[in-house]
Order: sequence, then C-alpha cells, then structure tokens
Amino acid sequence: MVVVQRKELTLAERLYLPEVLRGLSLTFRKFFEKPITRQYPEQPLPTDEVTRGQPRLVVKDDGNIACVSCGMCEIACPAYAITIDGGETDRMIEREPKKFEIDMLRCILCGFCEEACPKDAIFMSNELELADYTRAGLVYDIEKLKRPKSALQKRIDYVYRLNNRWRSKQ
Amino acid sequence: MTKIQINGREVEADPKQPLIRACHDQGVDVPMYCYHPGLAPVGSCRICQVEVAAAPGQPSRVVAACRTPVSEGMVVSTDTPKAHDTRRECLEFLLKNHPLDCPICDKAGECDLQDYSFNEGQGKGRSSEPRRKLEKRKSLGDVIVLDEERCILCSRCVRFFTDVTKKAQLTVEGLGSRSVINTYMDKPLEGNYQGNLADICPVGALTSKKFRFQARVWNLSKTLSTCGECSRGCSISVEALRAKEVKRLRPRYNAAVNQWWMCDTGRHALAPLTRPLAPEGAVLGGRLRGAAVRGYNGLELADDVAALDLAADMLAAHPGAAVIVSPFATQEEAKAALALAQALKATPQFVSPAPNGLKDDLLHTGDPCPNRRGLVEQGFTALEPAAALAALAAAPAAVLAGERVLEFLGHEGLAKLPTKLRLVAFDVETSDIPALDVVFPVPTHVEKSGHWVNVDGHVGVLNVAVPPPSGVRRLDAQLAALAAKLAATPARS
Repeated sequence: MVVVQRKELTLAERLYLPEVLRGLSLTFRKFFEKPITRQYPEQPLPTDEVTRGQPRLVVKDDGNIACVSCGMCEIACPAYAITIDGGETDRMIEREPKKFEIDMLRCILCGFCEEACPKDAIFMSNELELADYTRAGLVYDIEKLKRPKSALQKRIDYVYRLNNRWRSKQ
Repeated sequence: MTKIQINGREVEADPKQPLIRACHDQGVDVPMYCYHPGLAPVGSCRICQVEVAAAPGQPSRVVAACRTPVSEGMVVSTDTPKAHDTRRECLEFLLKNHPLDCPICDKAGECDLQDYSFNEGQGKGRSSEPRRKLEKRKSLGDVIVLDEERCILCSRCVRFFTDVTKKAQLTVEGLGSRSVINTYMDKPLEGNYQGNLADICPVGALTSKKFRFQARVWNLSKTLSTCGECSRGCSISVEALRAKEVKRLRPRYNAAVNQWWMCDTGRHALAPLTRPLAPEGAVLGGRLRGAAVRGYNGLELADDVAALDLAADMLAAHPGAAVIVSPFATQEEAKAALALAQALKATPQFVSPAPNGLKDDLLHTGDPCPNRRGLVEQGFTALEPAAALAALAAAPAAVLAGERVLEFLGHEGLAKLPTKLRLVAFDVETSDIPALDVVFPVPTHVEKSGHWVNVDGHVGVLNVAVPPPSGVRRLDAQLAALAAKLAATPARS
C-alpha cells in the first residue's frame, strides 16, 4: 500500500484568486503569439514530391494515357484496389485499358503500383483528400484518374531520381 | 527399355522416344521451344541442349536433347556449367530480336521464353545492333494474328499443319535474319484447327483474335472440363476471368481422346456460356433468373416452391406425359430424369439434332450430342427434333429438361405447339412459347459438375468453373425434387 502525502497548500493558493489570475495571464499572453495550429480546409497541408497521395494516371503530351493495361499494378496492389480490363486499340501500343478502376476506399497509398508500372503510366499524386456521399463515387475510373503530366512532374522527376540511384553505372 | 543415367540417376527410358522425353518423364526440367511432344522434332531452337557422354568416363559433348535418341548406357547431365552456358548463349541469340513488349503481349505469364529467360538468362543483351522491325499485326485468317517481331522461328506452327492436320499452310519465308513465318501465297489460313497455333506458339507471336487482349492470363482461373460441341468430348480447361466470366477454352492433354488439340468450333463456343441474364424482373431477353409460370400476362417470375407444386399438380392431372432431355444432359441428370420418367410411366427420350456437317478426320465427329453414348447406355431413345415436336403435339403433358433443350427442339416449332399441352421445361433461357406453363432455370455445363460419355466410351468430367446465377439449382436436384413432389401428389384424372 502506498501512502500519498498531500502537498500542503500555501496561503496564496488557498486564497484561490491569485492562482486564477496567474492562469488567465497565460491565456491572455497566448492571444498575441503566432498560432501553431493550421486552419485545415482553408489552409491545405503542404505536400512534397515525397508525399504519397492517391495514385493518378499521367496524360502524356499527345493526350493519351501511357497505360497498356498490362496488369502489373493490379497484381502488385496489396489491397486489391485496382481492376483493369484491357482491349485492342489502333494506336501504336496495340493495347489500352477499356476499364481502369481504383477503389480509393481500398487504396492504402503504398505506391506499389507506381513501382510496378513498366510504362510510367501511374504515379502517386499529392492529392490526399477523399470525401463523397456514396461508396460508388469513390471508385475512380479512367476519367477521374487522369492528370496532366505537368501536375505530376515533380513526383515523376523524384521517382526517376530514386530509381537511377540503384541503377548500375557503366 | 534402355538403361541410361540422368543427372547421376540410373533410369529406364523408351528407346523410341527422344532424350528430352526421357528427361521430362523423370521430372528433370529441360527447356524447349521448337520441340513439342505432338510434333516431329527438328532441333532448330537449340535451347534443349544437355551434356551427354556415350558411357561413364567417356568424353562428353553438348547435344540437343530433342534430336538425340536414347542409347544404352548414355550419361546425361542437364545441370552442369557447360550445359547452362550453352543454353544461356542460345537464349541470348533467341532474345536478340525479340521485342521487350511483355506488358502488351498476351502470352506474358504463360510464355516459355519469359520463364526460361528468368531461369537461365543473363538479364542483359550484349548486342548493339538494332532489333528487327517487322509487322506487328499480321492477320492470318479469321482466328490468328501473327506478330512477326516476337517470332523466334521455332516452326512449331509450320509442323502443326504438316504433322497434325496433314495440310501444309504455313512456311518459313526468306533467308537468314530476314526469315519470317507466312502462309503460302499470303492466303489466309483455313480449317477448323487454327486456334491450336496460339496454344503451341512458345512465345506470343501467334495469338488468338478472339482472346486478344481480353485478359491477363494470371487473372484466369483454370478448371478441368469437357468440350460439349461434339460427341468427341475433348478434355479442355475452362479459363474464367476472376473466376466469373469464361474467357477462353483451351485443350488439355488427354492421350485417349484429343491429345493436345481441339477444334475451333469448340474453342470458340463461348456464347452459350457467357449469356447475359434477363433484365431484372423479366423472363425473356436473357438467361432465366428464377422459375417462371404462365399467368394472365404470359410467363412471369414465380416462387420456386410454388412453381414446383404447380408443375407436379399439372403432371399428376395429365397422365401420359413425355420426358425429353437435352443432349447436354450429364449422366447424373440423366439418372434423375430416368427416375422421373419411371414415376410418370414415360419412355425416356433425348433430342438428337442432325449431324452438323463439321465432321473431319482429326477430332470433330459432327454429332452435336456430347453425351449421346451415355444417354443411350442409360436407356434413352434418340429423337430427331421434328419427331420430338410431333410427339409433343400428341402428348397431354411433357417435361423438357436440360441445358439448351428448347434451342435444340427449335423455338419456332415449339411456338406452334397446341396450348392444351401442359409443358414443364428446365432450360437456361426460354422464348415466349404459348404452350409453356412452367419453366425452371438450370446451370450451363461450366457451372455444374457431372460426367459425359464420349463417342468411344471415355468419360469426360465437368467441373464448376464459374458459379451459376444466384438461385439456380442443379438440374438433377430439381428433377429429383419434382419426382418427390409427384410421389406426394395424389393422382387425378
């Protein structure tokens, strides 16, 4: 058994009012200091090229996505978030996705799809916000996933830099 | 049998078979591209090279295992550095002109070149020459597309036509590095066996037009099954995308029935297996969703149990019903139909459509009844569609049971049947037949397990490759339930 020795209060503490004023003075002083909190929806989080946001499909300069629906991201995805159905196209690449869906509710933003992609078609964007009124609305199709290359350029450069670091120098 | 030594193990080998077969029979993996057990060996790819000595202690050399006959006392090593080096160098030459388009290629995932590059290759080519630029999409008839760049000139496709169908159609054209596969005089391929080319091509050079870019092969579930297009009953594997949608049918090796091959008619018979469901709440316009009975406004979806009661009532009230099953009925379904026919005191019969004229010397029998022999052995009588319709017109009531039985009888003929006929049907899909009173849904032959007996008496097995639509029960269970209900229904007349 532990006997807790209570601290004997001083006279000032027992008078109550001085301690209240001491506490309030701290409150008033903080009014005039720089706030450390962020006004989140109005002030979005700062992101970096290292930020792994939701995956997005890069639209190349010719207006097409680079995806050939090879299914590498689909098989790499540990959360089974990606579903791809391929089909034939007259473009040079022969094969393109007819359906490319990412279930953003399943996506865990791990970046495996970006790593698996042999065609540099999918990259992690800096978009992190996810809200909708229905579950179906959060299953993104090709049109919702398309982003211009300029929007993802920082991340693309970063991934190239990262990959080149491991590439053997000849 | 000859005694040889493979990787230090004394084994017995068939002297009539090439060395590569002896290795494979012993579970020793020797890669192969141009060799196919169903085709004559030519030894053009050189990937199957192994180290061979005539006897223990003798000097050894590297030979192609597909062109080397087995001889007494031979010492074979597949795993030595010399053999590995030779194979790796061969592979480097084979990959010299092979494009790196695995992400696009349909063969990726089941490609021999991919597998052996992974196992034996060095991951990097030393050639500084540019790769050959050739035609990527060359149509060879209605079934096959040729990608000339991917071709490694193994000539399996050429030999398929000379050795198996005995009608040469393909050839290697040009010399040296300009060689390509082509048909004679650029004519499109013909015949009912072109689809096999896509299977035997060890790389993705010959691909099927129907399956092209439809699915990645690692997303396909493979289920052992039997083809239902003719009474040959070729052993096949049913491959379904994400175990839901049948995407392709491929032959699987069965020495007694179809070897490695399969005809295009069977291979492309996907439409009856991928029929869409009828619209929600509707009976017509697709596969049946549930039991339907005739109401004031034609056929309407009904409760299963109520429909079964109604069917039993009708059959009890109109004795002398005919029982006709589909040629697709499995042995199990036939047994259940036989019990029902006994309960109804009917002669068991099955629809036997006329031969479809596709008969050939290789596999196709031209008879569209996959289980004819099994049904006849169980005591069913074959009935031509016209004779069956005449019998139905004269009968007071009838039970038509089995996948596509209405289709085989002919929807037009069925529509002309008198409405006083009490008709109970079990089928995947129905049309608006005035005489039809009750209809129950059944699974297709890739959605159920069962057995068919082929024309030579070999039993083909059916397995569940894709789940049937919700609420669709096995036909044999439904027929047994109807027979049980009949037994419990007092006879009326």
